This record gives sequence, C-alpha cells and structure tokens, in this order.
Amino acid sequence: MPRQILIDPVTRIEGHSKITIDLDDAGSVQSAAFHVTQFRGFEKFCEGRPFSEMPALTGRTCGICPVSHLIASAKACDALLALEIPPVSAKLRRIMNLAQIVQSHALSFFHLSSPDLLFGMDGDPATRNIIGVAQNHPSLAKDGIALRKFGQQIIELLGGRRIHPSWVVPGGVNVPLTREQREGMLAMIPSAMDIATRTLSWFKGVLGNFKEEVDVFGNFPSMFLGLISRGPDGEALLEHYDGKLRFMDAAGNIVADDIDSADYPKYIAEAVEESSYLKSPYYRSAGYPAGIYRVGPLARLNIIDRCGTPIADAELEEYRATCGRYVLSSFQQHYARLIEIVYGIERIEQLLNEPDILDANVHAIAKPSRFEGIGVSEAPRGILMHHYKIDENGLITWVNMIIATGHNNLAMNESVKQVAKHYVRGDSLREGVLNRVEAVIRSYDPCLSCSTHAIGHMPLHIQLRDPAGGVLDEIRR
Amino acid sequence: MKTRCLVIGYGNPLRGDDGFGWAVADRLSEEFAGDESVRVLAAHQLTPEFAEPMSEAEQVILVDVSRDGEPGTWRVTEVVPAAEGPALGHQFEACGLLAAAREIYSACPPTLLVSAVAESFDCQETLTSCIEAIVPDVVRDIRNRIDAAKPDYSHA
Repeated sequence: MPRQILIDPVTRIEGHSKITIDLDDAGSVQSAAFHVTQFRGFEKFCEGRPFSEMPALTGRTCGICPVSHLIASAKACDALLALEIPPVSAKLRRIMNLAQIVQSHALSFFHLSSPDLLFGMDGDPATRNIIGVAQNHPSLAKDGIALRKFGQQIIELLGGRRIHPSWVVPGGVNVPLTREQREGMLAMIPSAMDIATRTLSWFKGVLGNFKEEVDVFGNFPSMFLGLISRGPDGEALLEHYDGKLRFMDAAGNIVADDIDSADYPKYIAEAVEESSYLKSPYYRSAGYPAGIYRVGPLARLNIIDRCGTPIADAELEEYRATCGRYVLSSFQQHYARLIEIVYGIERIEQLLNEPDILDANVHAIAKPSRFEGIGVSEAPRGILMHHYKIDENGLITWVNMIIATGHNNLAMNESVKQVAKHYVRGDSLREGVLNRVEAVIRSYDPCLSCSTHAIGHMPLHIQLRDPAGGVLDEIRR
Repeated sequence: MKTRCLVIGYGNPLRGDDGFGWAVADRLSEEFAGDESVRVLAAHQLTPEFAEPMSEAEQVILVDVSRDGEPGTWRVTEVVPAAEGPALGHQFEACGLLAAAREIYSACPPTLLVSAVAESFDCQETLTSCIEAIVPDVVRDIRNRIDAAKPDYSHA
C-alpha cells in the first residue's frame, strides 16, 4: 500500500516548509518533494510604487540577506536609468556584497550545520544545536560569532546599520568611504582570515567522517549556473557582483556562456507546482523538469577556472584534488562555502587597498531612460535576479524576482528524494533519518523568507501517512 | 566601560505591532543619549552575535511582542538560560541566546523579557492604538529598572 512521510516543517532553515516522502507498496521511497507553504507576494505589492523605492522595499524581503536584494535591485534600477555608476561605487557595493556573503555563510556553517558535523547525524537532538556546540566546542562557536560580526561590522560601517542599510542606491552609493572606515575594516581582516582558515582546516579533518552523506546528499548530475568574470588570460574567475552568466553541465561542458544578465529570460523559464509557493526555474531549452540546475557556492566553484585570490585558489586546488574537478554532491556546499569565506575576506582586503577606493564621486544621477531593467548579483545562496518594468512616470508595472532558493528548488527536491531513498525504510521514522533529510535541505541554506517571505520560528512536525491521509507515525519536537 | 544595561528591542517594524520593540528602543535611545553605560539596540530578530554584547552587560532587557493574551497588556518575565532543540532557525529565542552567552562567554547577566500582547501583525509601519498607548509605560518601567540598578556613588 503506497504511503507518505510528511516532515512539516523543516527546521534550521529560514521560513516555512515541509517535506513529503511518498512510499510505494513495498515501503520504499517512490518520490519526495520539498514544499514551501507560505506566500508573501512581493512581486505583486511592489506594483504601483516608484522604481526608486525598490531597493528599500525589496531589501525588506529578508532580515538575513537584505544586502543581496539591495544590490540586485539597485542594479536593476541602474539599468532603468541607463547609466554607468562611478567605478568606485561598484567596488564599494562589491565590498558590501562580499561582507554579506561572509556573514551569511558563517551563520549557515557555524550555527546551523556545525551541530550535525560535530555531533553526527545520529547525535542527540537535545545537544545537536548551537548551544551544544557552545558547551562542547566553545572556540568554534566563538569563531562563528566573530566571523559573522566581521561581515556585519563592514556592512554597518558602509551602510550605517547592519540590517536594511540604505546606502546602496540607484546610481551608486550615497556616501563615500572614509579613511577611518577603511582602516577600521582593514584592521579586522587578519583575525577574520585566521578564523576562516582555521575552520577550513578543521572541516577538512572531519570530512572523511561523512563519506556516506557525501555519496547520497544531493549527489546527482545537474547543470550549474553562476556569474563569472574574466581574468587576464580569459580564464573564468569567481564573481559575486557583476560579470556574465554561465551554464555548465555535470561533466564540465559549457552549455551556455558569457550571457548578458539582461538576457536571462532567453535561458531561464519558470514552472509553478500546485504544492508549493516556491517557483521552479529551469533551463529553458532543456524543458521542465529536465532543465534542472543548481546555484550557490557549489555551482560557483564548479563553473570557474580559479577564484582569483591566492589563499582561496590554493584551497580550491585542494578541494578539487579531494572532491574532483566537478563536484556533484550537495554535501560539499559546506566546503565550498568555507572557501568562499576565505575568498570574500581576501577580496575585501584587495578592494580596500585599491588606490581609488576613497574617491568622493560615488553617485551618478539620471532620469529613467528605459521601461525595463534587470539586475543580477550573486547572493550567498546563489544567483539573484531582479527584473522590473515601469511606466512613463517611473512607477513599477511588473516585477519578477528569481531568488537563489528558487533556482535550487528542483535540485532540493531531487536531493530529498535521493536521501530518502537511501535512508527511509518501512513505515516509521528515526531521528537520524529525519535529520539527514533536513540536513540535505540545509546544505543549500535555503532562505524561504527570500523566496516567498515567511517569518517565524519553526517547531518540527513529521508525519508518516497512508494514502488516505491516516497517520502511521509521527514525530514532534 | 562595562555596559550597565543592554536593551534589545526586536521585531519587524513593517508588521504592525511587531514594531513595538523598535518603538521602545527608539524612545530609550533618546532618553539615554550620552549615557555610554546604557546600550540600546533595535533588531529584526535575535541572532547569535547578540550573545557577545549580552555577556558584556550587567543587566539585559529584551523587548518583544507575543500573540498570547489580551492585546495591549504587557508583562515582564525573567529569562532563564536554556538550550533550544534542533528547531533552531536563523534566529534565537531569548533563553537560547542567554544560554549561548553563558556557554561561549561564561557570562549570564540577569535578563528580563518585556513582552506586550500584539493586536495586529498586518503589513503597516504603525502600531495599533492599544500598543502605542503602552509604549510610554513600558519605557518608564525600563528606565526605572535601569536607574534602580545604577551604582550609588553618593557615599564614596
């Protein structure tokens, strides 16, 4: 008799969701899906607003990664204004974006995922949390807070506040960097780098304990999408602010390359499933759902030739020696995330030392010159797209936002299915099984606040149901 | 200088009464402007990095809203440090944050949670009248608690 396992809601991710696992007559997993059950509708209620409000409005999509929305939105507005922002503004925006990525990755790794890595997937749920980390590994917990604080402080120094800074505006930024701010940020670099490299060393030491998870945590062929920039020899470099889109397949073949961000609709289509408010973007020419692709740290490291900073490049080389040139396991998002933290710190230091970084000319002014604008940047969880249309009065008539978690929707479904197939047997649930199903979702660090915007603190409720909806097994915590 | 009192008002000011913590924090920031021993913060949610400033404070007062009770009422409760289970999102609960301060920084200051009962979480940047009305009372109560804890140097 076919049955269904329901995990509702998933914990330690941002927003509300549930997981359903359908069993066949033999009690084996037939299919699985990750459902997002909350709706917010930013794309609709922004209609009618002046386009210049969009960075501030869409930044409110999320309290965790507002900077990412601020930057993608400002870039879309730059496109509406048909202007080129002052070069130093692009560098300053880039610094803020990297600081956001560092602090977000730190939250994901240290506070959400490290309990699984430290105590094991079968660890006692009473201690498999950040307090357990603090009790048993206080230095690691302290490092996590310090690294997050590093990113937050840079955002605050640049934007005036940690959450929802209004410093990034259409046309650039509204205040130049001061010498004191620059020195303050540079002074924080060494300790942040110490933490990042120390954590990477620790992670590489424990990675061998998770061979089974590496094998079955979203380890499947898919395409990968991200931004790249070009190095001096034309090589593809790690890029988070600007650059071109690249699609790569699982074998490393370039599927589409050097795509202007404004052309994304030619390559990406969106499907909607009845069971979720989270859209399912796919590679248009491959069709749905065959056009599955992944974004985020794993994808970004797969599609590039090198990072472009010395320490991160050395780590990337070791990562590829350990995991392969094209890494398919989503478990390795943790590893990729740590390398990106290293890169972010290095790149921030490079940018702060650029000779023009204190230039006062940080804002270009223009009137709207286009009725349509697209802004794309890399958020911590993957590529982020803001697409606006305005009328002759500059009022928003249409909005499309494709969020990193949305790009990864099909891949998360596939990952849940793979984990469930491997671990779920019969009609009862064990804590370790539950956590592995959740953990594979967490490896993507999904932000459902961004993708649908739900706010709340989630309990955990899992149900195992028969085809008639009867509960066969249930776990709450 | 050690922080005599840390006040954190938290919530989402775009969701009606959820902005209560911010409103109280704004008023307290004005009242204690220039007093470096009192630190007032406003935040959307309690996140791990607050454990550090909490650990550096002699007293902590958190200001939030809840759904449970008669709208427009408020209460003050002591926060007891407690580990949260795996149901831990990007934000902490007050008890978990205090536990983090204790475990990571070996400091567990007396911590109070001032919690008002909200009437509406609709998308608006203003408080409902019943919540707006209690802001002065809550600010006065917190100010009195901070002043009561002020060291008395008159006989020094």
